[in-house]
Order: sequence, then structure tokens, then C-alpha cells
Amino acid sequence: MKIKINKLFFTYAGTTKVVLKNMNAEINEGTVNVVLGLNGSGKTTLIRLLAGLYKPDSGSIIYDDKSLNKISIKERSKIFAYVSQHSNAINDILVKDYLTYGFVNALKFYKSPSKEQFDRVEKIAKKMQIAKLLNKNLGDLSGGERQIVSIAVCLLQDTPIILLDEPTSALDLKNQNLVLSLLNEIAKEGKTVILSSHNPNHALFLDSNVILLNKGKIEMFDKAEKVIKVDVLEEIYGKKLCLSSELNYQEVSFKK
Amino acid sequence: MNKKSTIILITSILVFLVIFVVALMVGRYQISIDNFFGALFTSDETYRIERSIIIDLRLPRTIMAGLAGIGLSLSGLLYQETFQNKIVSPDLLGVSTGASVGAAIAIVLGLSSALISIFAFLMGVGTVILTVLIAKIFKNGSSTILLLAGIIVGGFMASVLSMIKYFADPETTLASITYWMMGSFENSTMKQVCIVFPIILISVVILLTLSWRVNIVALGKEEAQTKGINYKFYRYLIICIATLLTTSVVAFSGTISWIGLVIPHIVRLMVGRNTRKTIPLSITFGGVFMILVDILSRTMTDSEIPLSAVTGLFGTVIFICILLYRRRMFDEN
Repeated sequence: MKIKINKLFFTYAGTTKVVLKNMNAEINEGTVNVVLGLNGSGKTTLIRLLAGLYKPDSGSIIYDDKSLNKISIKERSKIFAYVSQHSNAINDILVKDYLTYGFVNALKFYKSPSKEQFDRVEKIAKKMQIAKLLNKNLGDLSGGERQIVSIAVCLLQDTPIILLDEPTSALDLKNQNLVLSLLNEIAKEGKTVILSSHNPNHALFLDSNVILLNKGKIEMFDKAEKVIKVDVLEEIYGKKLCLSSELNYQEVSFKK
Repeated sequence: MNKKSTIILITSILVFLVIFVVALMVGRYQISIDNFFGALFTSDETYRIERSIIIDLRLPRTIMAGLAGIGLSLSGLLYQETFQNKIVSPDLLGVSTGASVGAAIAIVLGLSSALISIFAFLMGVGTVILTVLIAKIFKNGSSTILLLAGIIVGGFMASVLSMIKYFADPETTLASITYWMMGSFENSTMKQVCIVFPIILISVVILLTLSWRVNIVALGKEEAQTKGINYKFYRYLIICIATLLTTSVVAFSGTISWIGLVIPHIVRLMVGRNTRKTIPLSITFGGVFMILVDILSRTMTDSEIPLSAVTGLFGTVIFICILLYRRRMFDEN
């Protein structure tokens, strides 16, 4: 499914600062797209607009050929799944039960998940190596485990597009790697992934497209290898930016 | 429903039936089992007094108690889930305080008990509408704003109530207002049952139908919406049902505290947080608890003790036990 962002403007209610200014982009099917930019550059706003959680001042977001504001909530949930930056405050639900929430849009309002759907939960949990968490409460999970559970719900929601707002921001290195590898696998299955991140290296690791934001505008939208360059990024991150090869110490990172 | 919750549900239904029958037998005038069956299943004139006590006095009040328990614990559960806050009670959006104002006005005006109920009902519903409208002014749609509006409107209604009480005649109307606010099933009639029963029945049917879906509403606006639920619709539906449940009960029995807070906690502790299980169990547990409280309120002393005094007495103790138990489980983990 193709996503088209068309002359998008956005201002938060009760403020005057225009957060997104005339944003245009076309995101292709089956690609991984990392939204990079400084704090306040509009990363989260963009992801949340794509998820239909905000209404743009003007302009449109078009999924295939349908404008987002003309798609019902139920239809939207069949197009994209969304993982918010702050995982939900609810702690006392069983992981097993929480995962079945991914089936909401497939169930009639009076139905609860079937035995077969619980089997699917178990299957995907095994595949994602979280089977041992199924009978735990969400609140008893580590940040990394919780993020993986959130992604698992999205996969069960079975949408062609997955939107994630800074899925790695609260995670340690090991879990960052785990989540990114998972997203890589998901993309290989043909899903379109859009995530925001603070770490340009993540885009390189994912070999993704980069949507580089600067003050509410798209500065550049291209393959990571073309965007993640000192001369491009120093405009945004400052003049001290350099490649790790120029450092007089070794950085730690992960193998692909 | 897994095995454990099914067993708990069936047991609680049986307990409900037993306690219902017991409630018809015990009281200041004790009725033995023989006389009980004699009065109900024969037309023997010797059981005339028993029959009258059971059918005219105890049956309507016990049914009302059961309905009140169901209504209050369900609306407590609904509010706790939709507002993602475990310490809210059915009075969250000002329902009971509003209903009290309505009842107080009717009492001061010297209206009949039927009109007192109607006033209480209308003011209860009106107060919630006011709360929702005030929250709407902020165009923000978050639960916090609604909660705040509830506190504001509740506070406003409480001071209106104080004012009415201040100007009421201490000998007659003030006493009635105070007594009304403490809650009682003493004046229950079959007519009242005929009004409250359909409201509770319809609400219960809707809630049992949606019992799994309430889980998703409890996730909050963002998550619920991106998972494919029309959050706004469901939240208003739930507020509507909870308000109807509470006001229809409160209008006839006066305000009853604690039950809406305690029962959902007990139920969650037993089967975990899953509205597919907690909604049916809140129905049976709420009914049992309220009927028990009513039995106690009319048998503990020679005169009737107001309901809120009894629910408060037991509610607080039970609540502390729940917190201690949770704490212990937490420590063990």
C-alpha cells in the first residue's frame, strides 16, 4: 500500500507555532522508513498524523487512493497498526489477553477471541520468542519485552503498514538491536514500516529510507546511505558531527 | 472464560440464590423453613402473616437490594475501566450528589416519595450531562478533563446541597434529607422494582454483550482507536449506561457508598483484569454483597441502620484487606 503525503500543514490546538509546514512525500510499499530529526522537528507529530490521531490544518494523507479523513476508524485499523512512544499505563493485563486485542477489528462487537485466535497468539509468541511471557502481567515485563509485545499486537492486527513512534528510545543496546532486527524481518515479509528515531545509525542498520525533518519540513527523503552523510546531517545535528572512522576511540555497535 | 472464572461465576450465582431466599426468611420477624414454604407454596390461611411479610415487605426490598448491588458495582467497574483509574466510584461524574440535590429539593417542597425519586433521577442525569458539557468546552476529549469536570460539578452540587440543608427545617425536612442520603430499602415497593428492573436488565444485557470490548475501551483513546474501535461512541455509551444504573438505584434507595468501589476490586483480584470475566462477576458479587448488607442493616439492631453506614463499615475493612493481600502478592513476586 502506497502512502502519499500532500501539502500537509499542522498546528497544535491552542498554539501558534506551525509544527509541519507544507510537507510532501510518497512512501512506497514494502519499504522501511526512518523519520529523523531534532527534538521538536515534528517526528512524533508526523507519525501521529499518519495514524489519524491528529487532524491536519490542511493538506491530506492518502493511503493508496483513499484520503485518511474519509476512511472509517475500523477501516483504518485494517490499513495500519500503531505503537505509541509511551506504552500504555495499564499494567495488570495478562500478555496473552493483551495480544488478542490485535483481533478487535476482525471481531464483531459481541464476540470475544476464539480458541483459534488464541492459538495464533501462541504461534506468534513462539516465533517472536516471547512464549514464556504469555502468562505474565504487562507490568512485570522489562521495557524491551514490552516493546516486543506491542509489536506482536501490531502483527496480529495484520495490517500492511506499521507505524512506530520512537520504538527504541527507552531501550538498552541489546533490546534496541532486538527490536530493529525484528522490524527488518517484518519488512522482508512485505509490510511497510515507518518509525521515528533519534539515532541515524538505526537507519543505516535497517538499510532504510530516511525522512529527514528540519523545523517541520522535509529536508531530504532518500536512501539512508545518501542521507546519513556528514555534510547533510551537520546542517541539523551541528558542526561537531563526524563519522566513527574519524574518532580516536572505537564505538560499539551491532553486526547486521 | 477459563475454568477458574466459570467455577467462581457458577458458585456466586448459587450463593446469590441462597442469600436471596435467606433474606426473605430472616429479620425482626423470623420465619422458619417450614413456614416459609408453607406461606409460599400453599394457600393455607395460617401462614397469612408470613405470606404478607415475605411478599409485601421482604420480597420488594430484597429485589431492590439485589438490583442496587448489581447497578452500583457495575457502574463502579465501568468507570474504573474507562477512566483507567482504580479509585473512582460511581459518583465520579457527580451522579449521586446531583441526585441528592434533586431529592432534597423535592423533600423541602414537601412532595410525595414518587416525586422525590423522579426529582432525584432527573437531577442525577442532569448533573452528568452538565459534567459532559463542561468537559466539552475544553475541546480536548481526554479523560482527565472529564474527571476534572466531574469534580467541579460534584463540588458545585455539594454546596447547593449544603445550602438546601441549611435552609431546611431541622425538625422535619433536614432530618428527611439526611436520612435519605444515608440510603435505605425500607420503603421499597413492587412498583419501584417494576421501574428499576427493566433499566438494570437492559444495561446488563448490553454490558454482557460488550463484555470483551470494554477491555479495549479501557486502553484509552489512542490505542483503542488505532485498534479499530470507535472510542468516542463506546465511552459515551458506557457513561450513559453507568449513569442510568446509578441514578435509577439512587433515586429509590438514596445514596449508597463504597460498594461501587469495593466489588470491582474483589472481582479483579480473583480473576484478573479482563472485563469479559469481571463484568458477569460484578453482577453476582454486587447483588450478594448488597443483599447481605440489607440483611445486616435490618437485623443488627432493633431499628434499621442506614445502608451507607453498613457498607462503609464493611467496605473499608474489606478494602484494606484487598490492599494488604495485593501487597503481599507483590512482595512474593
